[in-house]
Amino acid sequence: MSHSGKELLKIKGLVKKFGGFRALNGIGMDVGEGCIVGLAGPNGSGKTTLINVISGVYRPDGGSIEFCGRSVYKLPSHKIVRRGINRTFQVPRPLSSLTVRETVKLAAVYGTCEGNKEETIRQALEIVELEGVKDVVSAGLTFAQQKMLGLATALATKPKLLLIDEIAAGLSHQELFKISQMLLRIRNTGITMIVVEHHLGFIDALTSDVVVMNAGGNLFRGSIQEAAQNDEVVEVFLGR
Amino acid sequence: MRRRYLQALSVIILVAVVFLLLPRFYSNQSFLFNLMLYLGLAEGVNIIYGFTGYLPFGYVGFFGAGAYGSAIAITFWHISPFVCVILGGMAAVATGIVLIPLLRLSGAYFAIANLAASQALYLIVANPTMEKITQGPYGIDLSSVYNADAGYYTMLAVLVFAMVVVAYIRNSDFGLSLLAIKEDRVTASLAGVNVVRARSIAWMLSAFVAGLCGGAFGWFTAVFYPSTVFSLDVSVFTIVFALFGGVGTLAGPLLGALLLYSMYNFIGISTPQYFQLFYGFLIIGLVLFLPDGVASILQKGKVYVP
Ligand SMILES: Nc1ncnc2c1ncn2[C@@H]1O[C@H](COP(=O)(O)OP(=O)(O)OP(=O)(O)O)[C@@H](O)[C@H]1O
Ligand SMILES: [Mg+2]
Repeated sequence: MSHSGKELLKIKGLVKKFGGFRALNGIGMDVGEGCIVGLAGPNGSGKTTLINVISGVYRPDGGSIEFCGRSVYKLPSHKIVRRGINRTFQVPRPLSSLTVRETVKLAAVYGTCEGNKEETIRQALEIVELEGVKDVVSAGLTFAQQKMLGLATALATKPKLLLIDEIAAGLSHQELFKISQMLLRIRNTGITMIVVEHHLGFIDALTSDVVVMNAGGNLFRGSIQEAAQNDEVVEVFLGR
Repeated sequence: MRRRYLQALSVIILVAVVFLLLPRFYSNQSFLFNLMLYLGLAEGVNIIYGFTGYLPFGYVGFFGAGAYGSAIAITFWHISPFVCVILGGMAAVATGIVLIPLLRLSGAYFAIANLAASQALYLIVANPTMEKITQGPYGIDLSSVYNADAGYYTMLAVLVFAMVVVAYIRNSDFGLSLLAIKEDRVTASLAGVNVVRARSIAWMLSAFVAGLCGGAFGWFTAVFYPSTVFSLDVSVFTIVFALFGGVGTLAGPLLGALLLYSMYNFIGISTPQYFQLFYGFLIIGLVLFLPDGVASILQKGKVYVP
């Protein structure tokens, strides 16, 4: 797409097993610097698992993950974060007893050695519009605010690559539009993104580069319009 | 932030001055020593339980390791008992390092495994085949270096150290990272926190404090047995004191240990049966009505507890 030609992330033949079940079964993809790649697929196709493996939350069982030309395969999360990858959660995982500011501060202090900490915290809170509740404990936030806090925490670690897992799910139409604008603004600060989403409409607003996965493997890559005309894609989405 | 450090500092200075001056007005030095001991141990438990959520039912293992480590160093090396107390602290840290894999367990499994580990250490130390090193079941006799005053002020120094560690953790980014781990390990690591390292450091600091307490206790008491310094009562008392006051703060465990240990001394020793009953009710009441301790009453009223 709008590649500067340089690949930021290269994944090949990734495998993740749960017992005998392969949640990831050989998926591969390249992501160019500065791009937004949409990641779609039916329920249980392995999208969240892929994000968990890339971010070090799960240990992979095979394949390779290269980021900025270096392997991050099987590294622990905190090292992957410091290399410049971060993610959000489909279901927010707030640090309930910490305030919004404390949470973001933690990420700014431990997640990166770049930049002025106070400035990083301020910017992260500003982008997600949580300045007004910065002294509220996370347990007291709404679901939508907790999602935004997850995003702010990830941003405060100064990532080069951000993995967004169904940030739109459970949010209203109004909020949805606001968030797509927010993600575009974040991309414009130079952050590359993989955006997991069920609703192709939401992805369409962000990018024309979509990866569709099925059963832990690759099914399709191309624009949404092409995807809609692809028989295999239509089949897995309609479940025929 | 600076203000919070000053508040913590005032608490530390207050406690230190009280125990520095009290012996002039109150002659029961042994009571004052034991009170300091439990204040120190309660802060030690606070480090690991209050900030990381691991409940160390085998905490007494570190205390015993410190008492024995220090006593063995005094007996064999004839160096300054003060240095030996520090070596006792290090013996507890060594024990803690051996037990680091336990931190992979969670909840009750950790508590039980830790308890078992402390009793295993007890059995090793008390074993008659260890007589050449630990005197086995016959106990330790340090009467050649007995010096109650020196032991007393060493314990005071240990208490101050424990309070400083807790004040640091309570107010630093490191402490914030521990609280984050306690809340959600995965979220903490995605904030860039090295979870394994942070919780291991907290564990070893907590062990060090208990070991120093054990060393000071050995010096002050001069004669003790494995059953004294590995008694499960030490774990239980310490944990109840810390919880009663309120973990996660500097002042909470101090308050808990002060109130409950004094009470134990005034009712418990003369009429132990009433105390046991009272204690039982207290623990039930604590769990039911005040799970976050006395400090939480203030915190609910938006009062900052150092
Ligand atoms: N921790 C786990 N243990 C066992 N199985 C798991 C685990 N996590 C995921 N799975 C399984 O792996 C498969 C892929 O799950 P995953 O959550 O990655 O799907 P997804 O594409 O994100 O789905 P959704 O659109 O519903 O979020 C599912 O069959 C799921 O049951
Ligand atoms: Mg998912």
